[in-house]
This record gives sequence, C-alpha cells and structure tokens, in this order.
Amino acid sequence: MFLALALPNLALIATFTYLPLINNIYYSTLDWTLGAASATVVGLDNYVAFFTGPDAGRVLGTTAVFTVATVGGSMILGLLVALALNTKVRGTTFARSAVFAPYVLSGVGVGLVWLFIFDPGYGVLAWLLRGIGQQSPQWINDPQLSLAMVILVYVWKNLGYCAVVFLAGLQSLPKDVMEAASLDGANDVRRFISMSLPLLSPTTFFLLITTMLSSLQAFDLIRIMTPLGNGTSTLIYEAYLQAFGAYNRAGYSASVSVILFAILLIITVVQLRFVEKKVHYS
Amino acid sequence: MARNILTSPVDRRLFLSLAGAGAGAAALTACGGPSTSTGAKPSAAALDFDGVKPAASFDFWSNHPGKSQDVEKSMIDKFQAKYPDIKVNLVTAGANYEEIAQKFQTAQAAKSGLPALVVLSDVWWFRYYLNESIIPLDSLIKQLDVKLGDFRSSLVDDYKYDGQQWALPYGRSTPLFYYNKDHFAAAGLPDRAPATWQEFAGWAPKLKAASGAKYAFMHPALAGYAGWTLQNNLWGEGGAWSKGWDITCDSPESVAALQAAQDSVYKDGWAGVSSKESADDFAAGLASATLSSTGSLIGILKSASFNVGVGFLPGGSKAKTQVCPTGGAGLGIPSGVTREEQLAAAMFLQFVTEPENTAEFSAATGYMPTRTSADMTAVLAKTPQIKTAMDQLAVTRVQDNARAFLPGADQEMAKAAAKILTQQGDVKATMAELKTTLEGIYTKDVKPKLKA
Repeated sequence: MFLALALPNLALIATFTYLPLINNIYYSTLDWTLGAASATVVGLDNYVAFFTGPDAGRVLGTTAVFTVATVGGSMILGLLVALALNTKVRGTTFARSAVFAPYVLSGVGVGLVWLFIFDPGYGVLAWLLRGIGQQSPQWINDPQLSLAMVILVYVWKNLGYCAVVFLAGLQSLPKDVMEAASLDGANDVRRFISMSLPLLSPTTFFLLITTMLSSLQAFDLIRIMTPLGNGTSTLIYEAYLQAFGAYNRAGYSASVSVILFAILLIITVVQLRFVEKKVHYS
Repeated sequence: MARNILTSPVDRRLFLSLAGAGAGAAALTACGGPSTSTGAKPSAAALDFDGVKPAASFDFWSNHPGKSQDVEKSMIDKFQAKYPDIKVNLVTAGANYEEIAQKFQTAQAAKSGLPALVVLSDVWWFRYYLNESIIPLDSLIKQLDVKLGDFRSSLVDDYKYDGQQWALPYGRSTPLFYYNKDHFAAAGLPDRAPATWQEFAGWAPKLKAASGAKYAFMHPALAGYAGWTLQNNLWGEGGAWSKGWDITCDSPESVAALQAAQDSVYKDGWAGVSSKESADDFAAGLASATLSSTGSLIGILKSASFNVGVGFLPGGSKAKTQVCPTGGAGLGIPSGVTREEQLAAAMFLQFVTEPENTAEFSAATGYMPTRTSADMTAVLAKTPQIKTAMDQLAVTRVQDNARAFLPGADQEMAKAAAKILTQQGDVKATMAELKTTLEGIYTKDVKPKLKA
C-alpha cells in the first residue's frame, strides 16, 4: 500500500529531479558546445579546468561572499525586525505585511525597479547623493559595487521571510519562562541573550538551512541586475553564463553545476550532523 | 521466491534495490544527449530543394530589433496576402540578440521546437555555422532567384564563409555619432560630428562648460556591446582586437587607443560610462554626445527634447578618415527543420529583403536598407538622419574576428573595458590578460572546428 501511494511521487521525483541530475553529471564529462549535435568525452577535464583555471577562486569567492552576506544580513536584520514587530504598538499588522511583501514580489520586477534606483545617471539614489553634493558610485559598472548592490537588494527582498519566521518563533516562546526570568531581575537584553536566543535556536537553524540553500541558488536578481555577471558570478550564475550566456560551454557548465550540487550536499549534511546538535528543541 | 513489491514492506534491501534500479534507468537515459561519435558533416550539395513544396506554416523567431514588431507583423500580412497557403508565426523569442540566441541554442540542444527562420546577430551566426545549426542558403538563393547582387555588398558579404552564404542581412546597423545640436551651438562648435577623437577631445571642455550636461560624451554601456563600438577607437589609432586570427588587443596601438578612452573618463573628466543604455542617457540630456546603433535612431528622435544631430564615427591619429564597424542582425534558416519549412522560410526571407520591404523596415527602425535599389526617397524625407547611416557604409570595415567569431569574446571585451573605464585598471595589463583569454577561446573552441 505504501509503495502504491509512493510510487507515482517517486516516479515524478526520479523523472524531474534525479534524472536531470544524473544527466547533468554525464554532460559534465563531455566537451560539448551547446547547440552542437556532437560532443567529445573528456572525463574529468572540465573539473580540472575549473579548479586549475582562474574561475575557481573568483567564482567560489563571489559565492562565499554573496552567501555569507545575504544569509547573515537577512537573518540578523530579520531578527531585529521581528523584535520590533513583536511589540504591542499601533500599526504592527500593516508593518508585518509591508515587511513581508517584497518576499512575494517577482525577482525580475524587483531587480528592474532597483536598477532604476541605483542608476548613477538618473536614479533616485544618484539624485539624493547629488542633493548632498556627492557623485553616485558606479553601482552597475564596478564589479565590487555590483556585488554589493545585488546583496543589498537580495537582503531587502528576503529579510521579510526571516522576520516573519522569527516573529512566529518569538510569539511561541513560553511566557512563563520569560516571566520567571523577569521576576529574577533579568533585563530585556539579558532575557534576549540568555533566554530568547537559545529558545529560538530551532527557528534559527531552520532559517540557516533554508536561506543558505536559497542564497546559493539565487538567480533572478543577479540575472536582471548584472547580466554580464561582472563581479556577481556565483556558482549558479557561472553555470548559466557558461552554457546559456555567450560561451555555450555546456559540458563545462554542467561540471560547475555538479560542484554546486556537491557543495549544497556537504553544507546540508554538515548542518544536520553538527549544527543541529546545538539546537534546543524544548 | 518472487516478492510483490507493491505489497511487501519496504526493508533496507528492497529500498536499495529500487534506488539502484532507478539510478540505472536514469543512467541509461542520460545517454540521450549529444552524440559522442564522429560523423561526416552534411554537405551543401545535399541541400536540394527540387520538387519540395513549401510548408503550410512555419515559425519565425525574432527579438524585434529596433522595436520592429509592428513592421514585422505588417510584412507578414503582406506576405500572407501574396502567398495565402503559407502562414508565418511570428514568435517573440527574446528581448535582445543574446536571449534569442539562448533560446535557439537550447532548442537546438533539445532537438525540438526549432523555428524555420531566426534572427541571428553578428556575433552569433558564425557559431551556428560551426555547430551546423544553420544551412547554407546558396541553393535556395539560386532556386528562388534572390537578387544577391542588389544587396549592399558590405552587409551581405559579412555572412559569407567557406565559399557559401549562411544568412541574409535584415536589421543591419552601424554605430552612429549622436550629438546634441543645442549643446554644440551653445559651445560655439560646428554643427557636425568631429573628424577625429583628438578633435573631439579639444571640443569637450568647451562643450561641458557651456552645455550644463554632466558629460560631454557618454561611452556606451559596457554590458551591451562595448567590444563593437570600441573597434572604432582601436582602428582609429591603428589597433584592433585582432588581425585575422592573431589577437592584437595588447599591441601598442590598441593600448594607446584604450588609454585615450580611459583618460577621457579619469584624467580629463569629460566622459562618463553608461550603466544601461547610452542612447537613453543621451536622450535624457545627460551627455552632449554618444555612440549608439543606427537602430536607436528612431527611438532617440522620438524621446529627445532637443535637436539631434548624427554623424560618422570619428577617426583617430592613425586613421584620418572615419572608421566604423558594421553590426546588427541577419536572418538564417536552421538545419533541424524540414525541407518544406526551410523553403517556406526562404520565400519569406526573400520577401522581407525585397527593396520596398527593406525600405519600410528601415523607415520604422532606423536600420539600414539592405538593398541598393531600395527607394528611400519617402523615408529620407521623413527621417533624413538615416542618410548619414547609409553614407557611412562607405567607411565601414568588417569586424575583427576576435569580436565577431570567438564565443564569449564580446563578454570578455566588455569586462576588460569595464576594468579600464570604470575601475581605472592598468590598460596594458588588462589587455595582456584579455589576449590570454581570447587566445584560449580560439585554441579551444574555434580552431579545432575550422577547416584547414
């Protein structure tokens, strides 16, 4: 009975998840130009080319900076926003909706609007800076600033998700324990550090896994805001650029995707085996 | 004894067996990608359309260059009125040349959903040729009696390789020098484009002081086609991205040209670098002059609130006459569709490149008429600036191989230009690095596929 119910789903997962994954591993062993009918088997040459060429340091570095900054930024700011939203003041319902709204917006639309804001020529930010006698930085043309720009927008878009999940966590904290801490003389900061944060650890752990996985797979904002990937070429965007951008190196791109898959797998296993031990579930 | 897997409890062994079977099946299907066996290339001689009847319908993939969707629909209506048995399905297959190329390459890899006619840009058609994704048009040109001799030779010859014609010109452009006539007048400058970049460097301080614009000149957006327009700067100083297949971007002449461009931004401070589209920056009054495609002409004329002047691209210290690359898009016929569809597409291709239709297309977009016999009188009466683009064809040069034929080279050139023009990177070192990259692309991706 179990299998009768599970098999259709297993078939779908096998067809749309595992089959492409295995296909991709196979393609990563080919020297294949996208669009060409034939390819040459090259074994592990694509992996060797990635790790021995200039791409590895650049792409892995960009991926690390982007992931740490977006995960850290979204979670820290999300927690701060959640703390603010957890207070009983007028307008919190509207504020919660406003904070969460960017998360459900299309990444393409968000990217286009923010591009106008950041435009050094006639963007809102440039206009504001001119008002105080400053020139706008070259957000779009300078690779380092491009990365900063995409990180800022990504954090803005996703912190609402962290805020709402943290808010749910904060509201489910046991009130009796918090009141006992207050009676024992713990002030707000002390209660937050010694009580709330440890009790929020399941929420933090959940967010750490989900935001890290989604950051490593972030694509739409990078594609729209920096189509060349100049300074913003994370592993997933490099895989896209190599196959579907100007280069058409489908085999090499597949090897970059496999490397990303391996990294995602390792991170998930490490988090489940080691980080989870620090989590307090009760 | 056989087990019924639908009713048996799932133990570790059964689970592993199922997983193994699934993985094995998946591994087998993984072999359905590109062929890894070597085979003979199809030869042009095999493309015989004798006795073939045109298909009843076919797909035409376009990115509507120069906002040409309406004029494309109009031409399709006229074609269908002339050939009621053939239906043309116009498909928006991308917002630019890169997106349409991406969709086409993906369809090619999937071996399904291919169009019978596709827009292909100057940097993509050669890749399609290398990948055998498009057919040579020679037999179709002969069978349909396409007047190849009436096409502007500099535009049609761009698609000749290995003695065959691989596409026909469609939305063909060159860059143009756009200038704000009001700003030039305010600065007491002549109402014309500069003859050389050195002349413009002399004008720029006056222009910046008198116009009130942020920049005297806006370099085109690097994420666009920096490799295309910078050929003008390189050629003017006697440099080039490449000469033949030799990469020459690090030659003293090339370095000098790009150093001058960098100086215009940092040392002299009269030029800026567009973030998205220099034509928009120019039309918004942010700069007094810029370079942009002829395909931007109609858009600039519509959106600018000042008098727009256009001129030839300036020359340089080595090239005293103006030097300009050709560019834009042609139309090609994919190899992966039926002969019937190819024939129908060729008939449409012949139709849209007929003199009256290329004139109509030119009027709607600003792209150049591709036929010498196209009657442009009405078009030029309405938009006289198009004449400048047509006249500039006399000083055009075929693009450098490195830019037009190396996969990803345009992107690498844009990145190098960004380093020079927006991060004040060392020009010589940046060009040396670019040379290594371009030579790597040539050696790995192009040289093995070229015929000896």
